[in-house]
Amino acid sequence: MAHNHSNEDGSIGTSLHGVTAREQVFSFSVQEDVPSSQAVRTNDPTAKFALPVDSEHRAKVFKPLSFAKPHMRAFHLGWISFFTCFISTFAAAPLVPVIRDNLDLTKTDIGNAGVASVSGAIFSRLAMGAVCDLLGARYGTAFSLMLTAPAVFSMSFVADAGSYLAVRFMIGFCLATFVSCQYWTSVMFTGKIIGLVNGCAGGWGDMGGGVTQLLMPMVFHVIKLTGATPFTAWRFAFFIPGILQIVMGILVLTLGQDLPDGNLSTLQKSGQVSKDKFSKVFWFAVKNYRTWILFMLYGFSMGVELTINNVISGYFYDRFNLTLHTAGIIAASFGMANFFARPFGGYASDVAARLFGMRGRLWILWILQTVGALFCIWLGRASSLPIAILAMMLFSMGTQAACGALFGVAPFVSRRSLGLISGLTGAGGNFGSGVTQLLFFSSSRFSTAEGLSLMGVMAVVCSLPVAFIHFPQWGSMFLRPSQDGEKSKEEHYYGAEWTEEEKSLGLHEGSIKFAENSRSERGRKAMLADIPTPETGSLAHV
Amino acid sequence: MAIHKILFASLLIFSLIQSIHGAEKKERLFKDLEKGSLEVTTKPSREGPDVVLDAGKDKISITWKLSSTGSTKEAEFKTIKVKLCYAPPSQVDRPWRKTHDELFKDKTCPHKIVAKPYDKTTQSIDWTLERDIPTGTYFVRAYAVDASGHEVAYGQSTDDAKKLNLFNVQAISGRHASLDIASICFSVFSVVALVVFFVNEKRKAKIEQSK
Repeated sequence: MAHNHSNEDGSIGTSLHGVTAREQVFSFSVQEDVPSSQAVRTNDPTAKFALPVDSEHRAKVFKPLSFAKPHMRAFHLGWISFFTCFISTFAAAPLVPVIRDNLDLTKTDIGNAGVASVSGAIFSRLAMGAVCDLLGARYGTAFSLMLTAPAVFSMSFVADAGSYLAVRFMIGFCLATFVSCQYWTSVMFTGKIIGLVNGCAGGWGDMGGGVTQLLMPMVFHVIKLTGATPFTAWRFAFFIPGILQIVMGILVLTLGQDLPDGNLSTLQKSGQVSKDKFSKVFWFAVKNYRTWILFMLYGFSMGVELTINNVISGYFYDRFNLTLHTAGIIAASFGMANFFARPFGGYASDVAARLFGMRGRLWILWILQTVGALFCIWLGRASSLPIAILAMMLFSMGTQAACGALFGVAPFVSRRSLGLISGLTGAGGNFGSGVTQLLFFSSSRFSTAEGLSLMGVMAVVCSLPVAFIHFPQWGSMFLRPSQDGEKSKEEHYYGAEWTEEEKSLGLHEGSIKFAENSRSERGRKAMLADIPTPETGSLAHV
Repeated sequence: MAIHKILFASLLIFSLIQSIHGAEKKERLFKDLEKGSLEVTTKPSREGPDVVLDAGKDKISITWKLSSTGSTKEAEFKTIKVKLCYAPPSQVDRPWRKTHDELFKDKTCPHKIVAKPYDKTTQSIDWTLERDIPTGTYFVRAYAVDASGHEVAYGQSTDDAKKLNLFNVQAISGRHASLDIASICFSVFSVVALVVFFVNEKRKAKIEQSK
């Protein structure tokens, strides 16, 4: 059985390899069989691509300024779609000072709507992995964009707190594009560079949460200039994100391509690799305690980021008596830091792994997340504007880098349930955001400033469990790897996800290959002691 | 990275300017203002128990003059600023409308009605409730402002406990038939376009497979 993993190229230290469910060992159909059989025949298929590709026709280089078909085009369509969805989900936040007057909202109403806006994605992110498998990344993205566009437009009809909450809930479903975007890039780019590619796609998409804080007040202002009253102007302003979604959806469907060799529906299936059982994949994801620690950790890095997107503009507007426009600029800076902060976090994780192995990755994750949370505490306590802005910027960089660093650890938690774990982790981010908004920003019990500091404290406390993530083959923050001959092997850890029966059928071969390639997570000292096996070859790294 | 540094630096400078500007206002408190120097009366166009005035349509007739007890600071009065203020029921669970003693922080009276130069006669205005007034319970307050723009005295149409003589306003919905129609059109287009693409591709795939 041909397993065409970019593992063969040596996915050493790759942060986000296979972050989605696109890998052969799991669910539903696999198209990889087709390219592989073609590639064996001749070199010609690779020559027709603009970028150098591997045997699976995944791009081996990342050229952000290129729009070459199909790889770079997929990257750009993917991250811009994700970016557009972030704009729509948080479009209401900078306009809340106007909306709360129009709809006569209380602080509780606003807080609950904020919780609702991030809750929908918990379910849609889990479902999106399956949708991408069945229909391809293009339709996964297009479904997300074009089926939630009506929700964005329906802000015209909103008349009270209840309908406002319902609409924000429905708009929130579109954050599933995170999964489809990462899925698409994982199919298009080889394992060696997937860390950087996914970090850029994730970070640049997250920037949408910042851009919306600038865009919406500007659009609102322009519409008011044409003579509309404020209470009509804000409703009309929502047409912009709505139209952007439709445009992106059409672009994705017309310009995009599911796989390097074509679209899912037109590629012939020459043979079917055995599909993995969803129940098994689900069970191994749920049974692994590390999944739940990552779930909680992401809830307090990405979760905190999502919450801030909802509350920060209003906070600066109310506390420091700024105009809507100025508050928007400051709030936007928070989201814009994603441009380099998240890729930096992934990169820092990779560097730490090179030196100290998985233990380095865990320490980096803990350090970045805790430092970010400490600055969040400071932000809540800052009573002068310049200090508040400084605290906010440092906070944003720490937290967003932590998001990037977390996805440096996630791909190693499981091989069999890789996609589901990334979906669960993503959902954890939204869950954490819902919890923090509910606890600290939905009632008059705490002022927003107190809420920010308390959220920072909670984030510090909830980042501590990273110390409990222990890999027998690599160790944890405070414990050495297991000395036991059997358990200290990567093969043992990843092989444990398959039953003897399945192993006898050879179903676990992909996991074994991955295990061999993941030996780099032992760090430099261990690597120098080891004789590199033929498969891993050089220690070439991203 | 360089652009980001510039943006960050300019934000810092900008906010420093803003905070310096705010510093001079920090000292002045509401309780230092002379109370009741002005007598303010309001008469909504529709009165009665349970009457709710419509923003954009109904009017309020407001009159103000120097109170019968006179004022020690009358010589400083330059302008009278009349504002629409939230009564306590509209401030519940809404910290952005909170009453603070520091004048620069106080959010009780955000809506400006009119500003007229002070003369010793009785002044009045017939004011139509503007279309951006939110739903709520209100009263009217008139601040007497001196030549440097600082408030020195005030009078309001209600009592100290802010219970008497309040009136209710219902905001406009902000909805518009044309907006509703445009919204429906775009939404339908979005869903239909997706379905058309989907069906088309499935059809093409079937044709290719049958070849």
